[in-house]
Amino acid sequence: MGQGRQPHRGRTSDGELGAAVARAQEGDEAAFAVAYRIVQPGLLGYLRGLVGDEAEDVASDTWLEIARDLGRFRGEGAGFRGWTATIARHRALDHLRRLKVRPRASALEQDMLDLPGPHSTHDQALESLSTEYALGLVASLPRDQAEAVLLRVVVGLDGPAAARVLGKRPGAVRTAAHRGLKRLASRLDAEGVTDDGPSTLGESR
Amino acid sequence: MPERHDSDGPPTPPAANPSDLAELLAAAVRGGAVDADAERRVLAAFRAARDEGAHRAAARNRRRDDWRPERVRRGGRPVRTTLVALVASLALGGVAVAAIGSGSGGTRDAGAERGGPLPASSASTGPPVTAPNQSAPAQADRGFSRPPSARDTEAHCRAYDSVKKHGKKRGQVLDSTTWQRLIQAAGGAENVGAYCAEQLAEKKEKKKEKGNAGKSKPGKSPKAPKVSKTPGGGATKNPKSTKSPESKAE
Repeated sequence: MGQGRQPHRGRTSDGELGAAVARAQEGDEAAFAVAYRIVQPGLLGYLRGLVGDEAEDVASDTWLEIARDLGRFRGEGAGFRGWTATIARHRALDHLRRLKVRPRASALEQDMLDLPGPHSTHDQALESLSTEYALGLVASLPRDQAEAVLLRVVVGLDGPAAARVLGKRPGAVRTAAHRGLKRLASRLDAEGVTDDGPSTLGESR
Repeated sequence: MPERHDSDGPPTPPAANPSDLAELLAAAVRGGAVDADAERRVLAAFRAARDEGAHRAAARNRRRDDWRPERVRRGGRPVRTTLVALVASLALGGVAVAAIGSGSGGTRDAGAERGGPLPASSASTGPPVTAPNQSAPAQADRGFSRPPSARDTEAHCRAYDSVKKHGKKRGQVLDSTTWQRLIQAAGGAENVGAYCAEQLAEKKEKKKEKGNAGKSKPGKSPKAPKVSKTPGGGATKNPKSTKSPESKAE
């Protein structure tokens, strides 16, 4: 990220992802590994927002299904992100149904109160947000905003794809993502986290 | 973002820019390295699926797996399906309005009317299903006066649905005649899934209309029980058997 803003989050690797998926569909295992490495971090982040600590388990179920249904997928790299996010979401909702709990908007937030703070170590020159803190922030949003933000920002879907994953109109998802980010921004302001944060992040990466 | 180290008082942090925040958040939430064990298991699953032949291209026929760019723009619906839904909802709207006005004397007429516009709307998807259409007046004479085409199709679609949902073999659930009827109505085997989704959605719509229209609907009570799941067998259902007395009084 040292070169400045990417044209659209996740987009620069879409071509590579699409090529890897196509080869994987032909049986190339190494290509599937490439696809996995590109997609998994975003999926895992999305799942953490939905199910919290059980994200790894749900991710396993998700990838089993992806591996099994790979032959059915049609599309490019961006489409693969959307398709896998949809599978992840279904598995997450199944998981939550089995546990008979609601999506964990409150659970992560509670954990967050015990965290030392937004910075993982005091001597970090780059004041980045710790993963747990960032997730806690997102989890504190209303569910529709959290999902919209996660899909757009973490998974890297565009508007229409995010709308399809969520089964909502693109306008509604756009609004939800916008509101979610605004709310997060104001929370960060309130906690004084953004000293030099955004301005140094781009340079140091 | 302007830095304020040189301000007079304690430095105020610059307002968090939501789009910068997005980058920050993305990096933070995605977190660290990929788990090597997890990756090994995933690759093993891939090999297992591949070696079982699960990845053969012949398996491709579910709309939910179609993420080609033109499909995503339309929210996953092909244009044709959207048009069918539009035409069908217009036709049903017209039928419902007409049926409200027909009253108790309109048993036969309304039955024929219902038989009428529905094949007209399915004509836009393919050749109309002619057999149920012909039996509509005969049904009405016997006082059954329900649109056999809609009921049959609905039953067929439910059977088809059970194939998809419960993974049964299609041959067990749908005989070939039924399957052919579905293909005809939907205008092609590949459209059956979408066609059935529309049909079942329309049925919900119709139920609402019936509920609104009340007793003027011929031969049916608003709480019509679901059609039996026997494929192609809906035509002989006796409305008297399970429904409330009011259903025949009109």
